[in-house]
Amino acid sequence: MTAPTVQPVTRLIDQPRVDHYAVAARDPNPIHRETPEAYAGPFGRPVAHGMLVLALMSEAMTNAFGEAWERGGSLKVRWRQPALVPVEVTARATLRSESDGVATYDLICEDAAGEALLTGTASVRLA
Amino acid sequence: MTSPTHFSFDSLSRGDILPTVELTITHDDVRAYLEATGEPAERWDERVPPVMLSALMLATLLGQVEIPAGVMHTGQEHESRRPVRIGEALTVTVTVSSYAVRRGALMAAFDAAARAGDEVVAVSRASVLVPPPEGSSEGDAA
Repeated sequence: MTAPTVQPVTRLIDQPRVDHYAVAARDPNPIHRETPEAYAGPFGRPVAHGMLVLALMSEAMTNAFGEAWERGGSLKVRWRQPALVPVEVTARATLRSESDGVATYDLICEDAAGEALLTGTASVRLA
Repeated sequence: MTSPTHFSFDSLSRGDILPTVELTITHDDVRAYLEATGEPAERWDERVPPVMLSALMLATLLGQVEIPAGVMHTGQEHESRRPVRIGEALTVTVTVSSYAVRRGALMAAFDAAARAGDEVVAVSRASVLVPPPEGSSEGDAA
């Protein structure tokens, strides 16, 4: 198997999606919802969960690798700025290297203006 | 998911191991997660999406530690060792891998391991930052 091209995933993250995610991911932090804490917080409005943004990246890797992503796939990311809701997020992975049966990708999730929300790397063992 | 104990964030220190939590992810859990993220559900009728597991490993931490207001999740690492089946009985153990105050900001990292029996099926690390209190003169660490 050679390292595949990872197709980007784009999705709107709006408040209903964030509210639904808060329940599904068991993360009740009020800064993600329409709460006084969110509006009084450092960003002045609700912020999407970082793990919700990261979910798009994992979806893109799953699309490219299937079960191999679950069998030895790894990632390491940092959030660069808050994803202020609503935000259209695109997750992209660009092949950096392929050696010893391991493909390594540079990751970025960006908003519609091209501002980086998350960057990092992912590695997958090629079957 | 069980969450037997609550700890204050301030009481933690590097090397602490939080009580192991049982975690079994159901079809309903996966369905709700995929509806929230928008990922097509077809491929996940038997297995758990890796980042969903990572999120629920993080949730075990949220269920055990009182997270202070203003905390920021700054980084995440995750490694899947093998696919995890829906309904598989797992345990999750979280370790405080770093905990330090620098210029008034508290930076901590939590390592989590998900096991099926004795087999580690996934590991993750969550890094967080608690900014200095508002008005602090030591607020340039972030």
